[in-house]
Amino acid sequence: MDPSIRKIAFTLNGQKVSAQVESHINLVDLLRRFNLDGARESCGQGLCGCCTVLVDGVAVSGCLTLAQLVDGKSLTTVEGLDASGALSVVQQAFIDEGAFQCGFCTPGFVLMTHQLLETNADPDEHEIRDYLAGNLCRCAAYPEIIRAVKTAGDRMRAIST
Amino acid sequence: MRNFDIVHPSSWAEALGLLSGGDEGTRAFSGGTALMLMMKSGFYAPTRLIHLGALEARCSFIEATADGGLLIGAAATLSSVEASPVVQRSAPVIAQAMKKLANVRVRNVARVGGALAHGDPHMDLPPILAALGGEVLLCGPDGERTCPVESFYTGYLETRLSQGELITGVRLPPQAGWRSAYVKCTTRAADDWPTVGVAVSLRVVSGAIADARIMVGAATERLTRLTSAEAALRLGAPDAATFARAADAAAQEAVTVDSASGSAGYKTELLRVYVRRTLAEALLNGAVQ
Repeated sequence: MDPSIRKIAFTLNGQKVSAQVESHINLVDLLRRFNLDGARESCGQGLCGCCTVLVDGVAVSGCLTLAQLVDGKSLTTVEGLDASGALSVVQQAFIDEGAFQCGFCTPGFVLMTHQLLETNADPDEHEIRDYLAGNLCRCAAYPEIIRAVKTAGDRMRAIST
Repeated sequence: MRNFDIVHPSSWAEALGLLSGGDEGTRAFSGGTALMLMMKSGFYAPTRLIHLGALEARCSFIEATADGGLLIGAAATLSSVEASPVVQRSAPVIAQAMKKLANVRVRNVARVGGALAHGDPHMDLPPILAALGGEVLLCGPDGERTCPVESFYTGYLETRLSQGELITGVRLPPQAGWRSAYVKCTTRAADDWPTVGVAVSLRVVSGAIADARIMVGAATERLTRLTSAEAALRLGAPDAATFARAADAAAQEAVTVDSASGSAGYKTELLRVYVRRTLAEALLNGAVQ
């Protein structure tokens, strides 16, 4: 067998799955094979955040991650956030604040917001801007995105207290 | 991208053995953020990547040394450096610089060893570590050795890393009494690669500059120490006039290069401004305790 092809097993949004993957394909390509298109390759250089995936709970750029290297890991994509049937607090906040227009970048912003609020429950505007600096929204919904992050943070703190 | 093999050594010895063949198509691979860009653009087509994942756990340490210095393992992610209380205390300039280095996702996977090994002069970490007097720790077929960060780079993407060698970490001397800063200028977008990056470290004793290190990255072909600018500071008062003299010396000394982000002449003028600003910031930052 071609040694550049390898069978990997990993957890995808809570489900144990496996795949035969070529060495050169990246994480976004891999997710397409599972019919998940929330992570999108846009800039292809790790700059825009559209391909954000959580690997073992840590946000990475799917476009810069070799698919074979997620063997044994646990992946969360935007599709995993409402697996229970209800939108996540962050997703609902993005809708309520109108924090998108075309929606192409939104999965990345939503996942990064989850990650931010996990480490910093009440970020100020400066911290939000710093954290999301690596996510680009070409519709420029930035003011609404910042409001959505604050709203999501407020609601999450209200739930946890 | 063409297909290649990914090999997963489970020990340093195995990794070093795999790298010792002298094959240009074989590369150590860890966070991969830099190599992936080279591979995607077709600039580099590997035949075999040596993935260091299994070695990461034992090489991710960030610890204070007995003499008050700092030891950072090659596999420490930039995020872990940013969040480290030890780094924030003993070399705060590093933690501060991380906030404006690439973005959260890149910092989550990019590692200190890779940031040193890549050899692109636009990287932020090498000038900072050099200004702090850091040494690269290397391990190879002939054993271990060290190399000062400031002399680790021999050209664009070229380093003193020998065939079959791996970076195991970086060691910093005690920073107590030193004031440091890193300031970069990006000419196109805020999150772009720097057009010029200046790192300085200085020690003020009895109202005079006793010692200084000034490193420039991005504007020059490789990381460069600006010794005549340092000489212009020595024994001067830490004030605007002294800083301006050092900035002029830096502009005279540095061999800047043309690129898409600016002409050599433009970068020389940027350097003059940024050396002055970085020195002023270092003074404001105060001395490490």
